Amino acid sequence: MYKIILPLRYLVNRRISLLAVSAVALSVFIASVVLTVMHGLVGDFKEKNHLFVGDCVVSTPSLVGFAYYELFVEQLEAMPQVAAVSAVVKSYGLFTMGDRHSGGVQIVGIDPIRHGRATGFAAGIHYHAGDLASLFEPGYDPNLPGCVFGIDRIFLKDDDGAYQYDPCVPHFGFDITCFPLTAKGALRGLGSVSSKRFYLSDVSWSGLARVDDHYVYLPRAEAQTLCGMGGRDKRINAIHVKFSEGVTPEEGTERVRDLWTDYRENRSGASLAYLMDTVTVSDWKRYRRASIAGMEKEETAMIILFVLVGITTVFIVFVVFYMIVTHKVKDIGILKSMGASSLDVMALFGGFACLVGLCGAALGLLGGWQFLRRVNALEDWLHEKWDFQVWDRSMFAIGDIPHDIEPSVMGAIGISAIFACLFGALLPTWQAARLRPIETLQANQI
Amino acid sequence: MTDQKKIIEIRDLHKSYQMGSTRVNVLEGANLSVRRGEFLAILGASGSGKSTLLHLLGGLDRPDQGRVLFEDQDLRDYKRGRLNRFRNRTVGFVFQFYHLIDEFNVRENVLLPAMVGKSVLAWLAGRSQPKRRADELIEQVGLEDRALHKPYQLSGGERQRVAIARALMNRPELLLADEPTGNLDSATGNSILKIFEQLNRAGQTIVMVTHDERIAQMATRAVVLVDGKTVERRVGQPS
Ligand SMILES: Nc1ncnc2c1ncn2[C@@H]1O[C@H](COP(=O)(O)OP(=O)(O)OP(=O)(O)O)[C@@H](O)[C@H]1O
Ligand SMILES: [Mg+2]
Repeated sequence: MYKIILPLRYLVNRRISLLAVSAVALSVFIASVVLTVMHGLVGDFKEKNHLFVGDCVVSTPSLVGFAYYELFVEQLEAMPQVAAVSAVVKSYGLFTMGDRHSGGVQIVGIDPIRHGRATGFAAGIHYHAGDLASLFEPGYDPNLPGCVFGIDRIFLKDDDGAYQYDPCVPHFGFDITCFPLTAKGALRGLGSVSSKRFYLSDVSWSGLARVDDHYVYLPRAEAQTLCGMGGRDKRINAIHVKFSEGVTPEEGTERVRDLWTDYRENRSGASLAYLMDTVTVSDWKRYRRASIAGMEKEETAMIILFVLVGITTVFIVFVVFYMIVTHKVKDIGILKSMGASSLDVMALFGGFACLVGLCGAALGLLGGWQFLRRVNALEDWLHEKWDFQVWDRSMFAIGDIPHDIEPSVMGAIGISAIFACLFGALLPTWQAARLRPIETLQANQI
Repeated sequence: MTDQKKIIEIRDLHKSYQMGSTRVNVLEGANLSVRRGEFLAILGASGSGKSTLLHLLGGLDRPDQGRVLFEDQDLRDYKRGRLNRFRNRTVGFVFQFYHLIDEFNVRENVLLPAMVGKSVLAWLAGRSQPKRRADELIEQVGLEDRALHKPYQLSGGERQRVAIARALMNRPELLLADEPTGNLDSATGNSILKIFEQLNRAGQTIVMVTHDERIAQMATRAVVLVDGKTVERRVGQPS
């Protein structure tokens, strides 16, 4: 019974125990807040990348592209695992707007309805939201050839990160210029460029900085013509695939890869078969790894930093416990002289450590949860009152500070805290408990 | 009243302490045997090894050499669990410096040996009896109105009385007391000695360390520790 009463008394009567609880609570609080925010940022970034490309991409890095895709698209659509497919042209070009603006763009030729089904493209459209069929019809004159620019090329953000849209799509015309390549990869002819004027019909938002200020979407047939990929054996650069509910990107991708291997074998005799050699099938993570990897590296670095902070915390908790147990060595001697075993003593102080860890972890997690719940309100308030923003929303594609609690992360933090306490308490306890009672009583302090 | 059966015996006991480079030989071949129902006083100058000897008798420390036999069994041969039971039930120890648990009140301190001897469930099932016993003991040492006080609220004499009550909690066969009156004024000391006298009259075997000749008069028998050895000394018969 003393194994239950005594730890409770230590906790309540000793100010240093309350300090230990505070130390644990503070570390748990900081870890839970920072890891939640970091986890949220990385998760959000991955989700945006996932939405941007769909579940799986069949693509070639070559600007020449690959042919014979129509039949493959049909075969894909017939697969039970596949929900939507979008064949896409990707190339590079220049745009000029009168004599004032010019720059490089990534040209993306799409069928808007199909692309909207295969990826999260539809959700980022502003003026034609819910009506992708007429995406390339400018509001001011539906008969003009339309184009959709990445939003950052067209509109600015205010301090709160909201885009300052014009009420109607602005009447902008862009000359888009491209160097058409033959199927052999050569320029169509020396000095040959193809150029066409398109009119802004909408803007597209993906939340990815490199996309939103570099992309221009055109109707696929227009893009094919512009890039020299039209004609008899039409070419494209990528096929985006979305899988049915319940199919993971990894297993779906595996199926698509099998299908592609067969398809390619069957076509090996065709005249443009060699273009299929550079085509790879990858899931969205692999396809976007160049941009995700950086973020993941940051997350890993963050976790390593936190492990270091965690080690420091464990050490602090250890020191606090060492002090507490050292003060209580006399009690260990008394208990042992009355016949308590070393194991009893370990259980007593282990129980005390668990109690401190549990209280500290609970307080820290509760504090973290409450803080995260209010973090955005707090940031808004700081912004209003002191003009302070954690992230400048006019620069970063972040809406709210992530605050979704991840139970597994919270659980891991709480359990680590309790283990840190146990570790801190049991080492000095073990040192004291293995001595003979009288040694402990006389030593008084380790 | 004194039955002749030996309860505990030491044979050729050696104990030394290493302090830095010097070795202090405290006990050098001490012999002693205690009979049931006896009140034995151990006398000796300060630093002669009285506490050391008592700790060895109570199984709180191990000798370097020689044997401590409880009912003819060497404590050295005890398994760990048996030794713990020996410390918990067989002996009651009153320390020279009380050694109470600061977080516990008087009643809880007295109950401690009973709690140590039982698992939580066993304790919850049968706690009323030890509680009654604790209250009796607290009354016996005259602390009934201090039962809920913490040790820091008590005087030295009162703490010593708590320590005595605690030592008696599990009805030990052998009560070992290390200068229970050493830090007390003579009036308080006398009241505590009375308790021991009463206990002994009721059949309790007591070994008490003291360097007060006057106290030794009350004992059935006295030994003096000189040069690490025990020297028997006849004293006045108990009344
Ligand atoms: N843990 C220890 N380490 C080193 N020396 C010790 C230790 N315990 C006791 N001693 C030494 O052993 C000797 C005997 O000590 P002990 O406490 O048994 O004496 P004592 O007869 O009880 O003295 P007192 O009457 O002052 O209580 C002393 O010289 C003491 O310094
Ligand atoms: Mg002593």
